Amino acid sequence: MRRCEKRLPLRNRWLYLAGTATLILFAAPVRSAQQQGAAAVAPAPAPRRDITGVWQYKAPGGSEGLAPDKDMPPMTPWAQERYDAEKPGYGPKASPNGNDPILRCDPMGFPRVMFALGPFELVSAPGRLLQFFEREHEWRPIWTDGRSIPVDPDPTWYGYAIGHWEDDFTFVVQSGGYNDKTWLGSTGYPHTDEMRVTERYHRTDHDTILYDITVSDPKAYTRPVVAPQRIMKLRPHQEIEEFVCVASDEQAFSKRINEPATKTPGK
Amino acid sequence: MRNKPAILILVFAAYICACGAVYAHHGNSAYDEARIVTITGTVTEFDFVNPHTQIYLDVKDAKGNVVHWAVESQSPGIMKRNGWSRTSLKPGDQITISLNPAKNGAPVGFSGKKTGKVVFSDGRELMMDER
Repeated sequence: MRRCEKRLPLRNRWLYLAGTATLILFAAPVRSAQQQGAAAVAPAPAPRRDITGVWQYKAPGGSEGLAPDKDMPPMTPWAQERYDAEKPGYGPKASPNGNDPILRCDPMGFPRVMFALGPFELVSAPGRLLQFFEREHEWRPIWTDGRSIPVDPDPTWYGYAIGHWEDDFTFVVQSGGYNDKTWLGSTGYPHTDEMRVTERYHRTDHDTILYDITVSDPKAYTRPVVAPQRIMKLRPHQEIEEFVCVASDEQAFSKRINEPATKTPGK
Repeated sequence: MRNKPAILILVFAAYICACGAVYAHHGNSAYDEARIVTITGTVTEFDFVNPHTQIYLDVKDAKGNVVHWAVESQSPGIMKRNGWSRTSLKPGDQITISLNPAKNGAPVGFSGKKTGKVVFSDGRELMMDER
């Protein structure tokens, strides 16, 4: 200490102390950021046969269709007629005064809910995986006990889903039994009640699922709709909030905000 | 310049502080996403409800006339993840809010993209970003 005092004149010692303290203060966050950066480069390996947790897909535009228009196959006359009547709020046909079913608080349904704002949570239960969606505050069971999709089930908004592990890191879900009242996504596109959906949740590391989804509906599309692969990230500290469509609040919102924002000037 | 090493340390620390963040994006065909308008006024109502939170405020225009603005934002859950609660705003609060205005020119807007935020009279800021 004596040698140090000789080297450092007393009047300058405060400056070195301040500098050292500052370096210590910032060294921890920088090291932490470096560790996070390193984690982003080399995350922990994926656990075997486990995709439970809160996951989030962030649509680049906030809300999007199942697949881009260019990737949608030709429609059957039935589907084309329905599509022509659709006035979605997003995509190439975006219209301020649309007829999207969710504007009257109809359920978003599956698979559309997968591409809406908000995370989902997968919870394991005996014989099934439960999938909770923040959007709609809705859920569906994915049966894993070996059962099949029922023949001619009563159609529902969220269908009937079964799942199995294709390998230790790939969970495959097949579903059917949907009604034909929902759109495939926020850009529109109809489907029939014979729609079948295949999903692959491929967990590539602890924090990442690569999600593939294919919709087969020969009465609506001349070939299966193969969606682009989406990346879903684990959100371990995120909670599923209540994002429901409240009809009375939606009506008030329409009257006070949507109608003034969309009416033609001067009318 | 015997103090040069210490000064360099402080400058380096200040440089580290100058970090930012990048957020996502939301679209709605009723609003002009190419324009960002910033308005300052007095809150008259704050509806922290699903599926859209709403902020209503009185704003004086260039001629001194009071214009009643209606602002749409994200769901309460998304707002909560941005630090909001139902008590974040109350009637009488003076705020500045940035938004995408309605294309038709009505005093209505959407605030919820990465540029959407509320600045309180004491300088506090709250975002409404998708997260």
